[in-house]
Amino acid sequence: MEQPNVLAAPTKGKRKFSPLERVKNKFVTRSLTPIMAYMLFFSLLPMVWAVILGFFDYSPIRAGGGFLGLGGVNPFVGLENYQAMFADTQPARVFRSAVVNTIMFAFLVLPINLAITLPLAVIIESIHERFKGFFRAVYFMPTISSAVAVAVMWGYIFNPQQGLLNSIIRAVGLTPPKAWLTDPTAVYFGVPLAMIAVIIAYIWQDFGYNLVIFIAALQGIPKELQDAARVDGANAWHTFWRITLPLLKPTLLFVIVLTMLSSFQVFVIFDVMTNGGPRNQTTPLVMSIYENAFRYQHMGWAAAISMVLFLMILVVTIIEFKFLRTDWEY
Amino acid sequence: MATTTTADRGTHREFSIKRLFTQSSAYLILIFGTLVTLVPFIWVILTSLKPASEIIRMPPTFFPETWTLDSYRTIFTDPNVPLARFYMNSLFVAVFRVFITIFTSTLAGFIFAKYRFWGKDIIFGFILVQLMIPFQVVMIPAYLILVKLGLVDSLWGLIIPSMVDAFGIFLMRQFIEGIPNELMDAARIDGSSEFGIYWRIILPQMGSAVAALGIFTFMGTWNDYLWPLIVITTHEKRTLPLLLTWYNSQHGTRYDLTMAASILVLLPILVVYAIFQRRFVRGITMTGFK
Repeated sequence: MEQPNVLAAPTKGKRKFSPLERVKNKFVTRSLTPIMAYMLFFSLLPMVWAVILGFFDYSPIRAGGGFLGLGGVNPFVGLENYQAMFADTQPARVFRSAVVNTIMFAFLVLPINLAITLPLAVIIESIHERFKGFFRAVYFMPTISSAVAVAVMWGYIFNPQQGLLNSIIRAVGLTPPKAWLTDPTAVYFGVPLAMIAVIIAYIWQDFGYNLVIFIAALQGIPKELQDAARVDGANAWHTFWRITLPLLKPTLLFVIVLTMLSSFQVFVIFDVMTNGGPRNQTTPLVMSIYENAFRYQHMGWAAAISMVLFLMILVVTIIEFKFLRTDWEY
Repeated sequence: MATTTTADRGTHREFSIKRLFTQSSAYLILIFGTLVTLVPFIWVILTSLKPASEIIRMPPTFFPETWTLDSYRTIFTDPNVPLARFYMNSLFVAVFRVFITIFTSTLAGFIFAKYRFWGKDIIFGFILVQLMIPFQVVMIPAYLILVKLGLVDSLWGLIIPSMVDAFGIFLMRQFIEGIPNELMDAARIDGSSEFGIYWRIILPQMGSAVAALGIFTFMGTWNDYLWPLIVITTHEKRTLPLLLTWYNSQHGTRYDLTMAASILVLLPILVVYAIFQRRFVRGITMTGFK
């Protein structure tokens, strides 16, 4: 809210700008115009352009005529890119498996992540103040690490001969998988083994983020509420389910949406660990966009795929706005 | 206390034993989690300190039998890997992006928080819409724009398209709204310009918010992979993550070398983290940044 301004000249009936208001307006115009122009150019324009590209058979290697190189040898094809997604061709099959892989990845990562981070946050909150910081700092370490370095690390950990994981599995007397990342026939409950391996590495890197959010949310819950429940005879389990968890609802929804969105946008760890293989079993949508646009130069087709990704993200975001409203506060 | 009866002490002790049990199982779980988190790091460090011959031995060793810095020596003396160059590339992009993003975010955030002007709500709504558009959806046209600007295969191509951050503006507005107007009005009476108010009154009060924005912009840039992968083609212009994947593809089976290279990429940010750990965690909880 603007304060009533002592310097503002008294207005004489007419709607006129005072000297101070003029100074302010000049400042706003001069500062905001370049920033907004910049956003139009680097955010809005690419978005509109991406939508348009999806209706063209566009490749940057063909010297197209017309506006933005569209038209001529890069013809308008209407909805053909979208119709092609349902066709029985190799690119369409790869695209469809990318959609399945992305959704499978997101829906496996989310529950596993929550099942680890929420209890862990409660446990960290229950211990002595002096050690909380230490554990939080350690668990957050993978999250700040470079995703590429983490993926290279885990590629080695999953190495069937020299890898750490198989060494541990052998040491406890079990038979490890022959190949974690390259065996297309290894599928467990419909999930390829390579996908499982990537999920393990991804969760290892990512869990610290949600953990820190949950710890902060738990610290924000007034202790009196839990104490009151205890006085009324509730045990720790009941207190958690009936008091703590309902109060965490907004945080929980925030975490769910953010985890989903970032899983939809996953790329690095797949690119480095599996490069989409074996047999496209671990190709996520972003990799499919990247490969089609920048390796095969099929940018129209890739833009259409990116619209599918956008739609998926939009749906999750809309669901977020519907559910994130909470009915009560504390 | 002298008045405590033995019965009281009995129940008290019972309670303590139960508490001791839950407490110690809590610590056991946390220590197990710590091992799961740290062992991969430790193993990678130990691998980078083994000689090449020990890497391929079956069964693999955990601790090196022979400790050596050979892998690091190989990387440092490799003429194809001018490490200082790659560190400078990453640092150059990250530092520019951090300072420019902080400047544009705080300035726009200040205006949206403290000024009334025509179309304000619409323009701010436009910024909120930008928040919902992920980079991966617009990266193709963003690349085509870069081609038109002649910025492909240039480090500026990593900086210029991301100088304004919708989330940063949104965040800074939230913080600046909490700053009282009295100081601003006092500065105006003293003859300060509007930009002077931003520079001398608002900015100095935003330490922790700016630190959070700066830390996450730095991390995001330092670890960024997809956009540099698209933009940069010349070897000497690679940033550290690109260098690492390239090095990995060149020496895929020499795990002593690739693990040493990974450590070299990880080290700077881990050192920064070790120093500013509290700020990192506070920044996340304050902003919900990802």
